[in-house]
Amino acid sequence: MKQILIVDDSRTVRDSLKFFLKEGGYDVLEGADGVEALKVLETARPNLIITDVNMPNMDGLTLLENVRKSPDHKFIPVLVLTTESQQSIMEKGKALGATGWIVKPFDSQKVLAVIKKVLGG
Amino acid sequence: MGEGKKMNQYLTFTVSEEAYALNVLNVREVLEFTQLSKVPRMPEFMRGIINLRGSIVPVIDLKLKFGLGLTEKTIDTSIIVCEMVMDEETIVMGLMTDSVKEVIDLDDDDIEPTPYVGAKIDTAFILGMGKKDDKFLIVLNMEKVLTANELNMVSTAEISGE
Amino acid sequence: MDQFKQVFVEEAEELLGTLEDNLLVLEDSPDDRDLIDAVFRVMHTIKGSAAMFDFKGIVDFTHVVESVLDRVRNGELTVSHELIDLTLKSRDHIQSMIGSPSDVTPEHEATSAVLIGALEKLAGTEKKAPLPSVKKVQNDEDVECYSLYRILFIPDREIFFSGTNLIALLEELQDLGEYSCYAYTSSIPSLAEYNPEMSYIRWEIYLTTKASLNAVKDVFIFVESSCELEISSLVEASELPDCLGEEKRLGEILIGRGLITPEELSDVLSTQKPVGQIMMENGLVSSTDVESALHQQQTERKLREKQGGERENTIRVKSEKLDSLVDSVGELVTAQARLSQISSQYDDPSLNALAELIERLSTELRDNAMGLRMVPIGTTFSRFKRLVRDLSNSLGKEMTLVTRGGETELDKSVIDKLNDPLVHLIRNSIDHGIEAPEIRAEAGKKREGTVSLVADYSGANVIIQIKDDGAGLDRERILAKGREKGLVGPDENLNENEIFKLILQPGFSTAQKITDVSGRGVGMDVVSKEIESLGGSIFITSTVGKGTTISLSLPLTLAIIEGLLVRIGDEKFVIPLASVQACLELGQEDREAHREKRLFPFRGGMVPYIRLRELFLDRRELPDREHLVVTQTENGIFGIVVDEVIGDYQTVIKNLGRLYKNLQLITGATILGDGTMALILDLNKITALAKVESTASL
Repeated sequence: MKQILIVDDSRTVRDSLKFFLKEGGYDVLEGADGVEALKVLETARPNLIITDVNMPNMDGLTLLENVRKSPDHKFIPVLVLTTESQQSIMEKGKALGATGWIVKPFDSQKVLAVIKKVLGG
Repeated sequence: MGEGKKMNQYLTFTVSEEAYALNVLNVREVLEFTQLSKVPRMPEFMRGIINLRGSIVPVIDLKLKFGLGLTEKTIDTSIIVCEMVMDEETIVMGLMTDSVKEVIDLDDDDIEPTPYVGAKIDTAFILGMGKKDDKFLIVLNMEKVLTANELNMVSTAEISGE
Repeated sequence: MDQFKQVFVEEAEELLGTLEDNLLVLEDSPDDRDLIDAVFRVMHTIKGSAAMFDFKGIVDFTHVVESVLDRVRNGELTVSHELIDLTLKSRDHIQSMIGSPSDVTPEHEATSAVLIGALEKLAGTEKKAPLPSVKKVQNDEDVECYSLYRILFIPDREIFFSGTNLIALLEELQDLGEYSCYAYTSSIPSLAEYNPEMSYIRWEIYLTTKASLNAVKDVFIFVESSCELEISSLVEASELPDCLGEEKRLGEILIGRGLITPEELSDVLSTQKPVGQIMMENGLVSSTDVESALHQQQTERKLREKQGGERENTIRVKSEKLDSLVDSVGELVTAQARLSQISSQYDDPSLNALAELIERLSTELRDNAMGLRMVPIGTTFSRFKRLVRDLSNSLGKEMTLVTRGGETELDKSVIDKLNDPLVHLIRNSIDHGIEAPEIRAEAGKKREGTVSLVADYSGANVIIQIKDDGAGLDRERILAKGREKGLVGPDENLNENEIFKLILQPGFSTAQKITDVSGRGVGMDVVSKEIESLGGSIFITSTVGKGTTISLSLPLTLAIIEGLLVRIGDEKFVIPLASVQACLELGQEDREAHREKRLFPFRGGMVPYIRLRELFLDRRELPDREHLVVTQTENGIFGIVVDEVIGDYQTVIKNLGRLYKNLQLITGATILGDGTMALILDLNKITALAKVESTASL
């Protein structure tokens, strides 16, 4: 079963994502911010990371930079959660090595479609 | 043709040397004796099934059904494949008989009501007695050859519980 | 997602087909309530399914038509010639939009506006504001069209550092349509210089698809900035009729790409060798270029065939016709088996060759014929959305229905018979399974309950799961009730599945109050019967507080079964192969050793066996040696003792007909190669009967 790490400080976002992903047949790991995520990554090697941008302690883009620097994790796809208006964040994320983005608000189908796009069938 | 006087064609055959007749409208075809596969836990008169050009047709041994013993295979043994409609469903079955004779014409007037032969014998499957050239024929009522119970046959031992 | 959209398109087209028929009949009998309802429902269903995919253009338009039809339904409007006319036009328009539902064109919008205006005028609900001026309604002959795209995709060397999975990307393209991909590997350096973390391959892809250019571009949305990308439309749908007659020649393609000049082409054409080979020899183009151009030629050719094919060659066939086709094919297969048998007895090469040819052809024909009856279960699934919405409303519950695996294909006859059991199971889940929103909130669950319908293949079976995240089944209560009703003996120990299966018994209901929807004491046993009649089985798992999952395991098709052919006396029988675990020999000494208990050792345990001869009340003497077939049934592992195991056999199932309708031990018959018959055994019933009889005889 493919494993996905969700990083977001909002419990609501994490829980709804988790629900969609579990329904979609994925195993889910969680972190509330970049620091927690890096902690999780010390012992885990998920197939995909989905991260919010604005988070306390360590934001999503810094997390992304750290992931790309880690020899164990540099090829893990990372999807950034953004909203329509955050065009600049998408570009910034791309430059730092983000694989793609999921635009909020999202539903189960949208999320699973983007994940499929990145992870394959 | 006048009212109440209608000519029908009948196929005649014998079971235990007794002559029977069956309306040809019920008859599809006549087969020689052919190999039967027995279906387990069915009443003995249900002799089994035959392969009629790819369709499965159940065969009833009329002699056994009438309580006269098993039909032995001889050169004359025939299976009359008949059909009837029941509950909007066409049922095809084979009747095993000792021999098939001929097709005859009978007026409705030539068929007399079944005489009373004693309470012990169920005569529902007999439509009446036909008379042809001074010989008597038992005219079968195809729809009644099998009782309602037999049509919804349950295997001899019922499966209860699970 | 694409499969679901495909299902949506298919379903919508089917609905629009019936809509047309209904409208035409309605015109002659304008007071037929049922017809009006049917017409209304079509719009409603299309609107609902389109909303699932956010096909806004379709949703908005069907909404207007739906509301006009709703007024007709309520008697506020009468069926007039004009209304029929407009609804027919609307129907055509919807059909045209469904061709590319996610991408409604300005033309579509214009047509929508015109039709909406007319509909509102007819219904007397027109807005005061003047309609925006729109282009004249165009011919509605906008048939859905394929386009052929050539995609040149050169990922940056560092693309993997953005976590991009090129395979997934190519797969996504593949999902869009007919796809052929050509990888240019000339940039891969020698091993010494090779860095496995870099991407060196250039990709050229030919994609034949109904998707728009934008949809194709969307595939690359995440990698736009990290690759070179060129997407060109080679044959656009609109120009296709013009070039249908003549396809581009290889030379023309190469000229078009600027690889050679027309002069060079005519020079080489004057020689006789194949064009591509000559050009390579003359160093005009590399072999890769020729191969790739040949690719294009081939793909364009296919596109033409497809375009021509799909436009005209989809026909509706009555399912009875398919049934009779399958019957004939079944007979053909049987006749062919006889032919093969006879030919093996004569050492005649030409007869043997013919027999082999017929065998191959009839196998092919059989597979094709079976394939015709396979339909995706998605259309059935989508029907339940309405049911769930209505039910949750009437029961005051908040619900969503999640469906997955709608593309899973099953024999049409299986699907047709599956509708009622599924309706019942879903009702049960909503009624008994899902708790009221307040109770869910108290338990720390989401207020909204979820019922999922999931279909998937599992070997020769399809598994359909009805899963709810409700209260779960109460083991103890069910067991207590089972004991109370005498279904379970006081000392009998049941495992979890056995306990849960008690709810499938007639008259078994633990619902404390009877609701409108279920709990009327009928139902689950009927569901169980129907699934069994389809040759399927039911498994139930449940966790208190978490939910219940009911899994239906169904055969892909009712018409064919993989079986093990066995013999008892002169009679032959078929045991479904899916349940066979092993075949063993049962000699005299084994029989004596285990006579008392009727158990034999198998894989470290003792397994009970059933002698079919005895069960079938066959009192003839036993043969010296017997065979034992170890089978997995609903009632556990059992050994089935037969005279002889003959071998594997794939068979066409024949119904035994009305007279044997209630014969439980046999599910049907099959005709063997030599024209004799074999009966197909129902192991679940056989083991159940053996259990009952052995208890009775003790």
